[in-house]
Amino acid sequence: MDQLEDMLLELKDTSELMIDLAYSSLIYKNRDIAEEVMFLENHVNELTNDFQTEAMRRGFEEGDMTKALLLVRLAKSVEEISDGAMQIADVILRDVEPHPVIYLSVMESEVIITTATVSEDSDLVGRELGEIKLPSKCGMWIIAIKKGDRFQYGPEKKTVLEPGDVLISRGPEDGEGVLKNLTLGKYKLDEWDE
Amino acid sequence: MSRRKCFQRIDNVEKSVRELLTEMKDISEVIVDLAYAAIIFDSREIAEEVEDLECQINTLNYGIRIKAMMAARTMDDAIKLSGLLQVASAAGVMSNAAGDIVKLLNVDVGERPFFSTMLREAEEKIRMTHLSERSDMVNRVIGDLGVESETGMRIIAIKRMKRWIYDPDRDVKLKAKDLLIVRGTEDGYERLRSYAAAEHPWPEDDD
Repeated sequence: MDQLEDMLLELKDTSELMIDLAYSSLIYKNRDIAEEVMFLENHVNELTNDFQTEAMRRGFEEGDMTKALLLVRLAKSVEEISDGAMQIADVILRDVEPHPVIYLSVMESEVIITTATVSEDSDLVGRELGEIKLPSKCGMWIIAIKKGDRFQYGPEKKTVLEPGDVLISRGPEDGEGVLKNLTLGKYKLDEWDE
Repeated sequence: MSRRKCFQRIDNVEKSVRELLTEMKDISEVIVDLAYAAIIFDSREIAEEVEDLECQINTLNYGIRIKAMMAARTMDDAIKLSGLLQVASAAGVMSNAAGDIVKLLNVDVGERPFFSTMLREAEEKIRMTHLSERSDMVNRVIGDLGVESETGMRIIAIKRMKRWIYDPDRDVKLKAKDLLIVRGTEDGYERLRSYAAAEHPWPEDDD
């Protein structure tokens, strides 16, 4: 089951990253981010094909077609979720000026998307994303990091933060202030670890 | 599961486009989490909630289309509003996909737990934890505790006795023996679990 498992997890994680990126592209009217969603969409389509083929091959082999059917259907639904994300990014890719209400609605939502720039005084400088554990500390999940002109989408745990990095993140409203203070150097990391 | 109740009257034309779209975005996010939770925990009850939410999204989509058509006066309006409808429809696409995921539970299969094995290692995991009566989270309000900003775990549903509370609001008070269905990272879950089990006191903020 291992290889199938890995593929399914990648599908699920990618589709979720796509949703976050799609909303970000909309809020910041950013074409780069929208194009990444399109790139990931192609990746998801290929991965879905591979996953479904492998699930059916195993179904034949193990004589368990019901299980194969369930897996094929699950992958199709995950792929459809990524289609939804693509549809959102589509608005930016077509250069349709987003209606201001879209921005307001997304910002009023329970889960918000926000940016914060890492300052030179911040404790985050020189640290790896994985060791800071932002999600469990302030609820903020890093969707992408802009380093200079380059974006890193769905950054790895070992990504090192540098001054000037722009963090695009998603999370609860009350997590935003904590993250901002941390990037400004007002909060120190060790103050957390009681 | 009858689809009859799905055809609700379109009674939300009183709401503004902004309210409708915010509601759609919130539902489209929680519905995907709940759909995964339904198949991970093999839960018919969570699946039914997903089906209800899917109906709500469809009705909201009608409402927003009506509003958008009423608001378009010029070509420029129409162009802007078409983008808005596109976003609303995307929420519909995602919710329908979530609805399809829970339909997998209708397939009669000997052992389904293979879904939970397969999804266990996802980046953001869906887990559940019991709230001990000795935990100091008991009788506190989710928003005051700041559960998500403190632990990174988002409570997507609460099972209280026989009743479920889905996508609980900030003002929901936690009760002893609540079963919390949460989403987030592994170490966030570990911390939340230890507070819920009363192994550690809830960390109080000074501010």
